[in-house]
Amino acid sequence: MTDYVPIFFATAVFCYILGCFAVLIPRKHQLFAHYFAQVMSILGSTLILITAGIYLLSGETALLKVAFVGRYMLAIDGWSSVFLCITGLAGILTSIFAVDYALAYIGKRLRELSGLWNLFLLSMVLVLVAQSTVSFLVSWEVMAIVSFLLVNHDSEKRETWQAAYQYLVMTHIGTAAIMIAFFVVGSGSNGLNFSELNISQSETTARNLAFTAAFLGFALKAGLVPLHVWLPNAHPAAPSHVSALMSGVMLKVAVYGFGRFIFDFLGPVDFWWGALVLVVGLLSAFFGALYAQMEKDIKRILAYSSVENMGIVFAAIGAGMLLLTTSHKEYAVIGFTAAIVHSFNHSIMKSLMFMVAGAVNHAVDDKNIEKMGGLAKLMPWTAGCALTGSLALAALPLTNGFIGEWLMFHSFAFLAQADAGTGVRLLAALAFILSGLASALALGCFVRVFGVVFLGRPRARRAESAHEVSRFMLAAMLIPAFLIFVSGILASPIVTIAQHVAEANLPDLKMLNEEHLLIWGKDSGMLNYDTFVLLIAAVVITIFAWLIIYRGQVFVKRDVIWNCGTEPTLRQQYSGTGFSKPIRRAFDFLLKPRREVVFLQKENKYFGRSMAYTLTIPDRFTEKLYIPLQHHLVKTASFLRRIQAGSVRIYIGYVMVAMVLVLIWGAM
Amino acid sequence: MDISFYNYFLFPFLQMLLLAAFAPLVSGIIKKTKALLQNRRGADITQDYYDLRKWWKKKTVITPYTGFVFMLAPFMYLLSTMLAAFLLPNMMSNLTFGDIFVFVGLLAIGRFFMALSSFDAASAFGGMGGSREVYVATCVEPVMLLAVLTAILKSGSTNIYTMALNNGNQINVAVVLACIAFFILLLSENGRIPIDNPDTHLELTMIHECMLLEYSGRLLAVIHLASMIKNMLFMVLFSLIFLPIALPLAIKVIITAMGIALMESLNNKMRLFKIRAYLLATGGLLLLAIVAQ
Repeated sequence: MTDYVPIFFATAVFCYILGCFAVLIPRKHQLFAHYFAQVMSILGSTLILITAGIYLLSGETALLKVAFVGRYMLAIDGWSSVFLCITGLAGILTSIFAVDYALAYIGKRLRELSGLWNLFLLSMVLVLVAQSTVSFLVSWEVMAIVSFLLVNHDSEKRETWQAAYQYLVMTHIGTAAIMIAFFVVGSGSNGLNFSELNISQSETTARNLAFTAAFLGFALKAGLVPLHVWLPNAHPAAPSHVSALMSGVMLKVAVYGFGRFIFDFLGPVDFWWGALVLVVGLLSAFFGALYAQMEKDIKRILAYSSVENMGIVFAAIGAGMLLLTTSHKEYAVIGFTAAIVHSFNHSIMKSLMFMVAGAVNHAVDDKNIEKMGGLAKLMPWTAGCALTGSLALAALPLTNGFIGEWLMFHSFAFLAQADAGTGVRLLAALAFILSGLASALALGCFVRVFGVVFLGRPRARRAESAHEVSRFMLAAMLIPAFLIFVSGILASPIVTIAQHVAEANLPDLKMLNEEHLLIWGKDSGMLNYDTFVLLIAAVVITIFAWLIIYRGQVFVKRDVIWNCGTEPTLRQQYSGTGFSKPIRRAFDFLLKPRREVVFLQKENKYFGRSMAYTLTIPDRFTEKLYIPLQHHLVKTASFLRRIQAGSVRIYIGYVMVAMVLVLIWGAM
Repeated sequence: MDISFYNYFLFPFLQMLLLAAFAPLVSGIIKKTKALLQNRRGADITQDYYDLRKWWKKKTVITPYTGFVFMLAPFMYLLSTMLAAFLLPNMMSNLTFGDIFVFVGLLAIGRFFMALSSFDAASAFGGMGGSREVYVATCVEPVMLLAVLTAILKSGSTNIYTMALNNGNQINVAVVLACIAFFILLLSENGRIPIDNPDTHLELTMIHECMLLEYSGRLLAVIHLASMIKNMLFMVLFSLIFLPIALPLAIKVIITAMGIALMESLNNKMRLFKIRAYLLATGGLLLLAIVAQ
């Protein structure tokens, strides 16, 4: 079957390129251009999914050439085909959603939106199949710029272009770091092809520098703390389907790049590398979940939740890297498998949740969750999808979100047992504490989001007249909702494939030969999470429960709630801000919320005064790190400006001084 | 029928039903012991069965604002505790079956839905309960995982069955510390004094009871049964893994029940924001246990 892979791949690329040309279709046919582009991206993504799927299912591990561009080879292996799979699947799901959702942009550069959408998908695919430094960096840069343009689509709004330019600057710092990493790695080899890049023999300083630069660059793209600041700004600014694709796929492309460095270029892992990745991942998971619970903008909540989930992925990678330095190397596979599985599953659930956010935004015309409420009655299907996505993002069993976290916990458990001293054991304990906090906070966060948005009574006039989204958008949301359960229950084959890929990347290890991480119905698997038995048990209990509890149930009446004898008003319901109050108070030493109460004086001094209460929870990393940094940067720049006085004589003087210095240096 | 059907399905299922059947009794034992300790005569230990029957027979009043989540939540709570009971080591066949992380995860399903249901009635009090429940869970979860880690380090496995086998074969500082810490967690997780008072019905101080303020009739019975099962599950888990005494399980559970009653009689309910420090101290105990192991 793998013989057909290049054909599928070439057709996919062809589809994407055709889709890009939608921009050239005349403006009066913009609807046609849009539909054409989206059909092309659905087709292309399907073919990419088939390409990667064939490769993964064939069980091959060798590099497979898919195309040549000039002298640059494009090829896939296990690691890249996992991420191609993610790109293909999330590409299909979000493109279907975009067909109807993007119609809101008719007359607002719709052709450009749809054309760039194809280019964005294409650039991500090319990053994943690039096999040389040049093609990797070029596609990486195209991906960065195209995503900037997509974020900046509503460029008339001030906050949009601010967020977009912040993203542009940040992503270029990341690109610079990645380039440094490639320079260091490439300096010890003959060519620029990935197969020739390897600095396992180089001296420690070079390897440490390459690792640090690569981690910095990819962590920035993945949105790890403290480099995450662009993410919660860029997501609310971008159209919802673009956010879905960015969160679902682009963040994972960073995981791909980092894994490429770890597996292929850097050679044996140092202890502190693993520890750094683990701790940064854990901190991202914790802070992401904490800020997600504090935010009011639904898309910012989801963006912070992405920070949390990327933290989980990197924490799992970190645990795997640490295990590689211990005497129990074979268990490192669990960490990397967790990273792969969670990347895959997160792309499905985060795509779904951004679609839900888009649908809700469409219906209520507001992104503030405090202005929603009671939508479950008005938009029952959307509510069902949102509930599914929330369950998965809260990492509850039988959904796919649980599997990755569960494997991550196991990798921590193996780390604690690895007999590498008390330090490592305490590191594992720290991992348990922070990831436990993160998962509990994530659960609270999605209780809050779903509860405030969909339950209770409408909190604003606009939410009372909300209506269900179109059938097409619903279909686009129902597919990932369904996939969440399917991939949650078919956990065993997915984990087996991921394990196979992880093992292929760590070739010189004594692996968990033939031992699968989890197996249905037998207790021969290493770890036991029998989704199948649990599912049957759940179904049996459900049938009994339906027969016993609900069938004979008699509801006498619907009556108003108990409210200490008064009529309940809309504003007495718990708000999202109120809901997160205990957590805000428990972590106020980290969050430093700012409260401001202003008494507005009325004619009557004693009665009828109105109060204004504002609560702001600024991102502490922006406040304490970026704003001082920016301040110092401006200060240094204005200091340096003095040497550029604009007078020609001074510049001639500089030339003179420089020449004299060069002459003296030459004479010495 | 294949033998694995019995081992994998029928026996755990029967065990689950057994656990559900005995849960109200254990709850009754706690209440009776508490009453005796407080010089009261107290209700009969089978009183909880009567209470459940009473609620079961009563009709349900629901508010006009609620939707499907409100109806679904009690059942999901029951389902999550039942499935978690499914994972406990099997008394009838010696199969290694349940993973401790799956156990913890399954119980989170119930918490998720109960906290959600607190929003659905659009009342001022429900959300308060849900909010506090989430806060307490956030404080408990990391400490719970540390307790799990001590058990993993002791037994070298994440399987509840292997952990139970390794219990009681040695008693050292680490085991005692972990035992104390998990007992505190048991109290916190099940809404017991000093975290929450299961007997209070003042809206402003409740946590768990506050979330079920709008429930009545059969749905209320289901919720109460589920929380009794959850309490029982934690007591069984404590007896199996952390209580280092070689006695039959039933006796250990009764000892635990009496211990809970004693703790509830000796302590006051704590201020909500003291819980953080309280559980931080518990986490400290567990870190000591991890280092000492």
